[in-house]
Amino acid sequence: MSDRPDELEVLAAEYALGCLDEAEMRMLAERAGRDAALTEAIAAWERRLAPLVTLVPPVAPPPELWSRLEQAIAPTARTAGSLPPARPRGNLWRSVHFWRATTAGALALAAAFAGLFVLRPPAPVYVATLGPAGGPAPTFLAETRPDGSLVLHPLAPVQVAATSDLELWALPPGATKPVSLGVIPRSGAPRLTVPRIAAASTQLMVSLEPVGGSPSGQPTGPVLYAGTLRSLE
Amino acid sequence: MPLAAVALAGHGQPRYAVGSPRRERGWRGPERLSREQETVVPDTQPAAELAALLRACAGGDRAAFRRLYDREAARLYGVALRLTRSPALAADAVQEALLQVWQNAARFDPSRGAAEAWLVTLVRYRALDLVRRTAREVPGLEPPETEDETPDALAGLLRSAEGAALQRCLEALEPERRRLIVMAFVDGLTHADLATRLGAPLGTVKSWIRRALLSLRRCLEP
Repeated sequence: MSDRPDELEVLAAEYALGCLDEAEMRMLAERAGRDAALTEAIAAWERRLAPLVTLVPPVAPPPELWSRLEQAIAPTARTAGSLPPARPRGNLWRSVHFWRATTAGALALAAAFAGLFVLRPPAPVYVATLGPAGGPAPTFLAETRPDGSLVLHPLAPVQVAATSDLELWALPPGATKPVSLGVIPRSGAPRLTVPRIAAASTQLMVSLEPVGGSPSGQPTGPVLYAGTLRSLE
Repeated sequence: MPLAAVALAGHGQPRYAVGSPRRERGWRGPERLSREQETVVPDTQPAAELAALLRACAGGDRAAFRRLYDREAARLYGVALRLTRSPALAADAVQEALLQVWQNAARFDPSRGAAEAWLVTLVRYRALDLVRRTAREVPGLEPPETEDETPDALAGLLRSAEGAALQRCLEALEPERRRLIVMAFVDGLTHADLATRLGAPLGTVKSWIRRALLSLRRCLEP
């Protein structure tokens, strides 16, 4: 038997049972976000009590439920991931503080209602805003995903001559040569996804290159935008 | 007295009979064996199938997601409908939960728990959240009562090894306390709801639940 104190055990069980009121559930979820023992206790109770659902007879869902889900997981929706599908381009979205706040809110919500017990802990999230040197407003936002990939979102329209492309580079701390992360697509959603990246304190740069990207594997044109990945924690 | 309390006070009569001898012995069909004859054959095949579907979903396989839906939706919708007593809220709860499944499938770790339990947990939290939020935003709105579809004692639990252990431990509880646990879980009733439903003081209900949960844990993890 686990040696968790009864008080923690009962709170965890009541949470998993669902008999706490909304304020208590929320409070406990927040506490679980900081308290690994509580999270583990809740997880154990979720597992223990789950068989009780077999007491409830299945009911065929309304047919439109699948259509709604199908729409929600359509490829465009899928790549949007946790981001809102239509992101306003107002100043609000240029503020990394706002970004930080909404992401933290989303994580808290996930912790409150997501039944975290069987999930691997999410990888830390890093974000960087990339702007022109000395410029006030960032032009791109880069964020890492739980699977270790990195996504670059434009925050403002970027004009590039037909004879050039923008290329994204990463310079991990201590490294002397940047590594190319790819050419930023010109049309459609100019979003770039990079499979895997060493995140903490990595510097990101966008340089102006010939069409198709740098021929040498190193930046050849000027660095237009730069920023450093920081943990959201 | 708030509207909700008045409305609930009319339902002081317990709707559950999980602990009553009448229900416990009341097997409904000849196909049911007596408890002594029942043997537990844990069926691990469906669990493995579900885990495989989740792996496929993690890779973005929408056909696998459809198969997962076909397999699980009725069970999940039944659970959500019971908790919310509203087809619209139940559909929302299942949709949100399954989207969470799709988005988090890559993080599902079979070594940390059964996939079925994960899905069930997600749907329950979504349904509880929706129904409590709705109750707060639309005060006085009472979910429609459904006819009593009391689960036939705990017989259904025998489908899995975990369920069989839970059944054994629930049956070791005093009937009144067992009823509280099942009502809270299946109907999504809070401490206060349960107190009103049973016409018992809130403190008593809390204390019963507390003791029942601690007994359950001792029984499940000796």
